[in-house]
Amino acid sequence: MTWTDEELVARSIGGDADSFNELVLRWERPIYALAYRTIGREEDARDVCQETFLRAFRALPGFRGQAKFSSWLYRIALNLCRDWIRRERRAPIVQPPEDVDLIELAAAAEPSESIEDLVARRDLAQIVERAMTLLPEEQRTAIVLKEYHGLTFQEIADLMNCPLSTVKTRLYQGLTVLRRELAKEPSV
Amino acid sequence: MTDITCTFTGDRELTLIAYLYGDIDPAARAAFDAHLGGCERCRRELAALGGVRRQLATWQPQMPKLSVLGNNEPSAMSHQPSAISHQPWWRNMPAWAQVAAALLFLGVSAGAANLDVHYDATGLSIRTGWSRPSNPGNQASVANPANIVNQIRPVKAVTEDQLTALEQRLRGDMKTIAAQAPRAMSSGDAETLRRARALVDESEKRQQAELALRVAQVLHDVNMQRQADLSKIDRSLGLIQTSTGVEILKQRENINYLMRVSQRP
Repeated sequence: MTWTDEELVARSIGGDADSFNELVLRWERPIYALAYRTIGREEDARDVCQETFLRAFRALPGFRGQAKFSSWLYRIALNLCRDWIRRERRAPIVQPPEDVDLIELAAAAEPSESIEDLVARRDLAQIVERAMTLLPEEQRTAIVLKEYHGLTFQEIADLMNCPLSTVKTRLYQGLTVLRRELAKEPSV
Repeated sequence: MTDITCTFTGDRELTLIAYLYGDIDPAARAAFDAHLGGCERCRRELAALGGVRRQLATWQPQMPKLSVLGNNEPSAMSHQPSAISHQPWWRNMPAWAQVAAALLFLGVSAGAANLDVHYDATGLSIRTGWSRPSNPGNQASVANPANIVNQIRPVKAVTEDQLTALEQRLRGDMKTIAAQAPRAMSSGDAETLRRARALVDESEKRQQAELALRVAQVLHDVNMQRQADLSKIDRSLGLIQTSTGVEILKQRENINYLMRVSQRP
């Protein structure tokens, strides 16, 4: 039997540490991915991920279930990312960890995928990473939440504290910039 | 360039995005579907943004060893208490490794403390090097072998029977240990072996994959370089051919001129 997030939250508030651990195991990867795609640095994304769960643990007794647990967690992570960007006072730089991508990509390769396809896919991923760094923070965050986390427009609007139409506009503008930037690449 | 105008009456960009992500109510979808049938501009833009989305899907960040819980493996999402291990890491070590570690620790500690363990007729005595009295006379006597011989005190005589009994007892103990050791260590060893094999296999696979990727990259780079070189050579040959052609043309003109001049009376 799989417990829902909300059930695990209730058990955690009741003092069951294992339930909170379960929530961490369930959400640490999505939260790390969100942080990495937003701030673009592996070490800092890892710190943000840890800090997110630490804050969530501290604030858990105050969580009343008015939003989904995942949305609440995303909000904490995004606030931390925003703090990081402000603190660093610079645009995020996407730096894929050296010598890791090849191995991980190879491990993630489909059995039918040739090495050439794999290299091409990795090159394309790097181009996308670079193009994403050109976007303003709001557009990038909207795209990350929609594309990689599958949130609805309304959920993104709630997370980003903006109207639903603003989310759509940010997505449109961001995708249009990406389209233009990606078209400049000869290999795309 | 043809200017394609769009006659959509609503907010085009918002509707386009909602349609692109399939997050749109059915009525709006039907209306936009009808519009798409006659609007090439919207069809093109929709296709282009869909292409961007496919390209975005290739960007998957590498997952490092996350250490929020000090455990990178996602659990099976079961909720039995044993699903998440809270045992310290050293509990997973086999017993023999724990014993070896303990002995090593004791040895290192004894060395660090400069321990002097001494057993003679007077009994067992242990003292640290730092508490040993500094006596120049003793140092001098130790330096002299004759003094050492003189200092040896006779120990209590041990009979042959006692030695034989001791030997038998030791042999018995050793047999018992030898018989117990495989049973005690079998499960731990098997697990260690399995983990080591898994690690080695994983490492080999990764190395092979990395090697294959690097080879492919080198080949890719070599091919690119070769193509660039070939196009350079092609251009150079073209230039040479052009200049040679021009030269030949000039030569012909000269020859014609000379022939014309030579034929004049």
